[in-house]
Amino acid sequence: MFGTPQEQNLRHQSFHQRRRGILGNTLEARKKRLGLVFALPAFLFFGAFYLYPLFQTFYVSLFSWGLLDDPKFLGMTNYSRLFTDKEFINSVWVSFLYSFGVVIPIWFIALGLALIFNRTFPGRQAYLTVYYIPAVISLTVWSLIWLLMYNPTFGIFSVAARALGITGLRMLDDPSTAMPAMIILSIWKGTPVYMVIFIAGLRAIPNDYYEAAQIDGANAAQCLLYITLPLLRPVFLYVMVISIIEAFKVFTPMYILTNGGPGSATRVLSMFIFQNGFQYLKMGYASAASVIFLLILLALAIIQFRLLRFQQND
Amino acid sequence: MPRSMARLFMVVLGQIALLAGAILIMTPVLYMVSASFMTNDEIFSTRFQILPSNLNWGNYIEVFARFNFMRYLSNSVFVTGAIVFLNLLFSPMIGYSLAKFDYPGKNILMLFILATVMVPFTAILIPLFLIVRGLGWVNTYQGLIVPFAMSAFGVFLMRQFIISVPDDYLDAARIDGAGEFRIYFQIVLPLIQPALITLAIIVFVASWDEFLWVLVATAGDTLRTLPIGLAKFREQYQTRFELMMAGSVIAAAPMVVVFLALQRRFLQGMAGLSGLK
Repeated sequence: MFGTPQEQNLRHQSFHQRRRGILGNTLEARKKRLGLVFALPAFLFFGAFYLYPLFQTFYVSLFSWGLLDDPKFLGMTNYSRLFTDKEFINSVWVSFLYSFGVVIPIWFIALGLALIFNRTFPGRQAYLTVYYIPAVISLTVWSLIWLLMYNPTFGIFSVAARALGITGLRMLDDPSTAMPAMIILSIWKGTPVYMVIFIAGLRAIPNDYYEAAQIDGANAAQCLLYITLPLLRPVFLYVMVISIIEAFKVFTPMYILTNGGPGSATRVLSMFIFQNGFQYLKMGYASAASVIFLLILLALAIIQFRLLRFQQND
Repeated sequence: MPRSMARLFMVVLGQIALLAGAILIMTPVLYMVSASFMTNDEIFSTRFQILPSNLNWGNYIEVFARFNFMRYLSNSVFVTGAIVFLNLLFSPMIGYSLAKFDYPGKNILMLFILATVMVPFTAILIPLFLIVRGLGWVNTYQGLIVPFAMSAFGVFLMRQFIISVPDDYLDAARIDGAGEFRIYFQIVLPLIQPALITLAIIVFVASWDEFLWVLVATAGDTLRTLPIGLAKFREQYQTRFELMMAGSVIAAAPMVVVFLALQRRFLQGMAGLSGLK
């Protein structure tokens, strides 16, 4: 799992030393104690702020609790309610729609840009800087800018639509355009980070491969198809997993631009959890939704690992 | 020579395409800056004004006057600063422990920290709030800071770097009689200095932008950071877009400045995310 030969060697040694324990005055025992001392803050922190909350989410999801009253035990009732709650089903659907609507274009655009920036050309560094700027603008600020750009009176989209003879384009007020509006601003903001990750991945491919291929008479397309893309697979897996988690977490643009509306067109899962938990004070119900949320992401991650491993074996 | 002509043509074409892309990508940002200097009438003009007729610095003054902007700004600086400091303090320590020591429970700790990378923050939002509430930390600085004192990503980044520090250095120091803490502070930390800068940048970017947690864990005005302050401002003054944009420019500026100043390291840091795999 954790790979260098050095480490494997270390683990091998430790297997024999484990019996000697952490007490005593040998150098090995002292080092074990020391390792524990250095790791102690991590045990405390990740225990208190990650492990415990994970169990707590599940535990609270078994209750009906309004934060100010006493919790009432419900068993699995919150879950059965969730599965018949149209709002919740809608939120799951909206989250999938948004997430895949955002990440799939991002994968292609980011990879395309990375392939361009992997070459040398005049002004490369300057272009890279400019292309990265959206990623360093705070998401709150980014959302506010797009609030202006989507404005039905003076926003650039409505103005352009009027110029084309379409009047009354209200991006954020129409259920059919509100979600595309969210997707556009998220692709714009999210692409640069993945572009940079792809660039790093491309840089890590040894040049010898391309030189050897050239000697064998391979053209650029063949190099891309048979060298670059297969070797980029681990990076691609990483980008897939992280981008999907990031997309499912989305909250800020919805909070600022639509508050989940119009209707429930942009009420993603984070919004559903936030509103049920902190506006309607349904702690148990929101916790149950959080558990489902976690399971969805877990399932997606497992599917992706399977998918990419399968491809590697064939 | 037709061949070099064709080549030149491709280069020019490429430059035009890249330039067009750059302008497109920067449009929202330039629009923000431009709108921050406009009058309210200019923004609302239906024939889409690109530039303000004159630079209205008054918007920036009014932002500070009309709401608690200074407070939000200093909250943001303090909270982000504290989170960056704590991460720099703890992450290398744990990374060191995971990279160079062996003890019972280490592999479990490592697997667990790795697994938390996959846990989306929203999924533990409610229990985290309950814990912080139980500690009496709602609407306090520690409530905003402590839950972000470490990150799984930071710990792994540090571990990756410290693994490459040769054991011989550490053993030589031990033979010379250096204490373990001295080894850590005087040998390990200086050797991984570039990684520490990368870590600081990544943590800074994430915490400057934190939204949902601040929204949930603060009540009232005194502890709000810039993102929440701006969002609340938007709720209060629905149509004062020019002030919203002036505030946005101020909120966006620190990160852009850090990015431009530490560009190479910044991009390496972001790409370093893929070093985890």
